[in-house]
This record gives sequence, structure tokens and C-alpha cells, in this order.
Amino acid sequence: MNVLTFDSRQCERIRRHLDAYLSNELLVETTGEILRHLETCEACARELETRTRVRDLVRRATASQSPPEELRLSIQRRLRETQPGFWGGTRQLNWAVALAGILVIVLGGIVAHEWVRVVRGRRIVAGVLAIGVSDHIQCAIKGHNYPEVANPPEVLRKKLGPQYAGLLDVVQQNLPGFEILEAHICSIPGSSRKYVHFITRGRGTILSVILTRNEGAQLPGGGAFRTVVAGHVNLYEAHEQGMNVAGFESRGYLGFVVSDLDTNTTLQIADQLAPPLNAALQTAG
Amino acid sequence: MFFHPKVRVEDFEAAAMVHFPALYRTARLLAQETAEAEDLVQEVYLEAWKSFHRFETGTNCRAWLFKILFHRLHHFRRRWAKAAKVEGFDNPEEQESIAAEPEVPHEIRDEDVLGALAKVPAEFREVVLLADVQEFSYKEIADTLKLPLGTVMSRLCRGRKLLRRELAEVASTYGIKPAKDQASTGESA
Repeated sequence: MNVLTFDSRQCERIRRHLDAYLSNELLVETTGEILRHLETCEACARELETRTRVRDLVRRATASQSPPEELRLSIQRRLRETQPGFWGGTRQLNWAVALAGILVIVLGGIVAHEWVRVVRGRRIVAGVLAIGVSDHIQCAIKGHNYPEVANPPEVLRKKLGPQYAGLLDVVQQNLPGFEILEAHICSIPGSSRKYVHFITRGRGTILSVILTRNEGAQLPGGGAFRTVVAGHVNLYEAHEQGMNVAGFESRGYLGFVVSDLDTNTTLQIADQLAPPLNAALQTAG
Repeated sequence: MFFHPKVRVEDFEAAAMVHFPALYRTARLLAQETAEAEDLVQEVYLEAWKSFHRFETGTNCRAWLFKILFHRLHHFRRRWAKAAKVEGFDNPEEQESIAAEPEVPHEIRDEDVLGALAKVPAEFREVVLLADVQEFSYKEIADTLKLPLGTVMSRLCRGRKLLRRELAEVASTYGIKPAKDQASTGESA
């Protein structure tokens, strides 16, 4: 057996660099120095061989571990589930945003449709009730077609004629606090339409009760337009030309209560008048 | 995450999933249990995917993924609070000598190697894995582990020695005796 002696200080210096040499982290000059030393020093060459073998053993053993395919698939599945979409959110979020968008559009459409329906309905109501306001203003306010002292009932019944004379008592009985100054059948210049007009006074103002044949006007149904249900009669209200008007449909007639009293008072009066007038109109024909 | 029209999961998978085996193997050797390693790797990919829009194509995707892995791993490890602390080996100048180093058998089973590796404390094991298995440069390891370069070098040196001693222990069970006096003498053929 040949025993080699060597410069232990040189070997110590070289071995200090062996790890970096193994990791290929040395400068070219130092690598050259190590290689020259290894050519002549079997101990250091063997040490390098052992270190290299340990590294290779670890590499081989590590590579023997197979990563589970299920984990890879699970990760890929989760990645796709969380893929950012147009807004940068996850797919689920984008679906949620899209559904919310559709919901908003649908609800928006419904609301817009309902809003249009309400607006149109109110316009129709206002248009129909404007008839009563116009009659009140033309005959009672501008025309001042009533006496300061109320006409006697028999005069009023005569003016109303047999068809509507019976309504006088109905109005008088259901209009407490108001005195009927005038009642007549009114004609409108240039129009075939006529209306039954009761001009009353009370609470410091003039109030008209007007009944006219319904010539095709249709008040819309539904709570959005109907203000009060008086008995089986729907009441509607509007504010036109400075007057508050409450109206109702009754057996081919439109009825109006018009005054400059506030809305609630006008409605209360109409609420009391409408059912008995509705009943009386059955016999009026 | 904001609007990133160019970010597609297919692009991310093409860049990142190729490193799945390396990430899993590293995680498996550093986590305490298989389930923890799987959780770790899954978290790494989900976290990487979240910030993929910031990833510059052409840069080192593998180093980026490993950086996330170790960030998560250290977070886990703090939670586990079980990592063994081995002090006093961070000066590379203290490490090397020509004292006798144990012999390592030429033939050794993979499971024994992995068993020996598992006995090396985690802070050394991770440097060994990054340098010797994943072949990262010292600078990349320092960047990944947020350690000074000198610490990386000393931990690698120490980790390799510890591993070698553990392998020698395995060798003794194979009936291989430790080498003696190889530091001062060498035998010629």
C-alpha cells in the first residue's frame, strides 16, 4: 500500500471550496486551481466524489417521489374556477355580476313599464277629471250661474226634470254643511254633451256636484290611480286649474265633486256622496 | 384583481404547471405530512395565479414559484413552531476541515436517502434541496429564502455534512463501517 503525504493546508483550502465547486459557483481561476489539485490529491478527489455521490443520491431519491395526479387536476380545476373574467373577478363572480345585471335589467324593465303605466294612467285620470273641473269653472265660477239665495227645491226639481229630480234629495242629504244654491242640466256650446250640475255653498266656498254621461272615457283600475273605495265605487282625485276634484264612474255616468277645498276634504265629501248617487242613478236610467 | 384582458389561465398553466413536480417534491420533503405538502402546493398555485398579471413573461417562473412556496412554507412553519433550531453554523469559515468524514455507501435505497434527509433540520434541508436538487444558484436561494449569501453558503455546507452523517448511519445498518483516518492519509491504487 502506497501512502501519499500531502499538504494539509492546501487540502483544507481546497475543501473549503468544494461545496461551491460542486454548485458551480466558483470563478474560473479557482476552479482551475481545484482541478489541478485534484489531479494530484487522491484524498480530495475521493472527497469530491463522495460529495457528488451524496448529491446524486438525493436527486435520485427525490425524483422517485411521484407527484399525485389528482392534486395536479385539483389545482387546475381550482385555477379555472377562479379565472379572472372581463371585470377581473372570478368566474363565479362574473356569473353573479351577469345574473345581477340581467336581474337589474329585468327589474328595471318592469319598474320602467310600471312607471310608464302609472304615468299614463294618471294622465288618463287627470284628463277625465278635467271634464268636471272645466264644467265647474265654466258654469259656476266664470258663469256664476247660481243665485246668492238658494232656489227653492221645487224649482230645482223642475230644472232637473223628472229623470234627475230625485237626485236633489240624495245630494242634499249627503252633503251636510252645504246648501244647494242651484241645480240644472247644463249644455256646453258646440258640444252635444250635457251634465247635471248641483252648485252648492258651504265652508266658505262654492262646490259643484256634476254628473255627466260617460261617452267612452275609461278610468284605469288598480290602486296606483284609485284613491278611495267608497262602497263599491272607486274614487279618483286630481288637481286641475287650482281646483281639487274627486271623480267616480257610476252606471254610464261620470260623477265629479269639484271645489277649491283641500284634497282630503274633497275626497271625504265625494266618499259620502258617491255610493248613494250610484244607487240613485240606477233608477235615474 | 382589476381588469386584465391578457391574463388567461391557459397561459398561466403553460408557464407554471411544468414546475408542479419540482414544487411538490420540495414541499413534500419540507412539510410534515403529505396533506400539508398538497395544501402548500395548491396555495402556491392559487397565490401565483392571483398575481400572475404582475409576472413578466420571460423571467424565471420557477424561481418565482419557489419563492412563493418558501414564503408559504415559512408561514406554515411558524405556525407549526416545530422547526428545529440549529445555531452556530452560519460562518462558512468554521465549517471546513480535513477531519475524517463518514463514508457513504454506493448503493442505498431511495427511501433510506429520503429518511436521512428528513432527519436534517429544515433550515439546512431546504438549502440542500434548492442547491443540489433544484440547482438554484446561491443568489437565487438567498433571494428565495430571504437570507444573506453567506448564510446560504454556510447552511448548504452544514446541511450536506449533516446529510452525509445521516447516510453514514444508514450505511452502518448495511454493515458498512465508517472510514477512519482518511483525512490525513490516502491510499493509492
